[in-house]
Amino acid sequence: MALDLKEMFSDFKNGLWAENPIIRLVIGMCPTLAVTNTTENGLAMGLATSFVLISSEIVISLIKKLIPANVRIPSYILIIATFVTFVDYFLKAFYPGIAESLSIFVPLIVVNCLILGRQEAFASQHSTPRAIADGVGMGLGFTWVLVLLGAIREFFGMGSIFGLTLLGEWYRPMVIMVLPAGAFITLGILVGIMNYISREGK
Amino acid sequence: MEKNSKKAMIITLATIGIISALLLSFVYEWTTPYIQANQAQKQKQAINEVLPGVVEVKKVEKNGNIFYEGYDANGNRVGVAFTSTGGGYNGVIEVMIGVNLEQNQIYKISILNHQETPGLGARITGKEFKSNFNNQPFGNYNVVKTPPSKEMQVQAIAGATISSESVTEIIESGLDKVTSAYGGGN
Repeated sequence: MALDLKEMFSDFKNGLWAENPIIRLVIGMCPTLAVTNTTENGLAMGLATSFVLISSEIVISLIKKLIPANVRIPSYILIIATFVTFVDYFLKAFYPGIAESLSIFVPLIVVNCLILGRQEAFASQHSTPRAIADGVGMGLGFTWVLVLLGAIREFFGMGSIFGLTLLGEWYRPMVIMVLPAGAFITLGILVGIMNYISREGK
Repeated sequence: MEKNSKKAMIITLATIGIISALLLSFVYEWTTPYIQANQAQKQKQAINEVLPGVVEVKKVEKNGNIFYEGYDANGNRVGVAFTSTGGGYNGVIEVMIGVNLEQNQIYKISILNHQETPGLGARITGKEFKSNFNNQPFGNYNVVKTPPSKEMQVQAIAGATISSESVTEIIESGLDKVTSAYGGGN
């Protein structure tokens, strides 16, 4: 099996921009909107999701020929749930602070449609190296948008980024930015800007 | 064996399920001690935060509630710490309260768990709000929106009146618990 690096690179790049899960495919909205009230939460959520995505893409691309088509969705969910439970325990044991702030959204990674979607659309039809490239690309694509969203919301909502206060006492935080409404507003504006940029490029 | 036969489907799902369960039981074994240590650590820190100068803590059960009695180096009881929970704005809030039963006074409080809005209600964990309760006598508190001018007043966090009132109520109900358990009022 020859590794086609060019093909792998294009799979990887795909997730970063052209088919970015949040701004292009608009999937995985629940964690996107819910946990991006701080930069740190966005980063942790992005990395946790990426880990689950990459691991399950590897496993599923390896055993795709063994799974009967009729039970492929329950099989994928089982595999995804295993990795999610692993992440949940791992965070609780070694990063209790992050586990607490992400709370229920860690177990909910199981139902993030980004992960199941990539198994169905990609890992189950491509070789393992290409599935890894896709997983890393999609994972990073998901993570950078979450971090950006978290940074914007934390900056305007609390005057800080990664918990570091950037704006002094004079700044009156726009509280709406850390509330759910702020997530919708920021995401909407962000998607608008991204669409504008890619249209200009054509 | 045919690929989509019932047998193939059952075997596939069962195999994946068994392997997953096996792997997760290892992960569980590996992480549980750390998770329990984290929780114990958190609780210990909270007890030390709300009881001053305590060197030894004894766990006692009274009326079905758990209390942590704190003793100083001479073996005198400094005070009692206990948790009290109740509903907040977003979810359950758990508060650790340290009290001086001899003088019917609160020493300090500490927030163990909460799901309040970051930047607003979450400020119940801040020193500014918690210090409202420092050395307050037992009783019913009034939540006010200006700096407290007399005893029994608690200054609400701006924009988070519900969270502030919830914590106050949780503390009031906790105080009832401790006074009834220790036959308070004397």
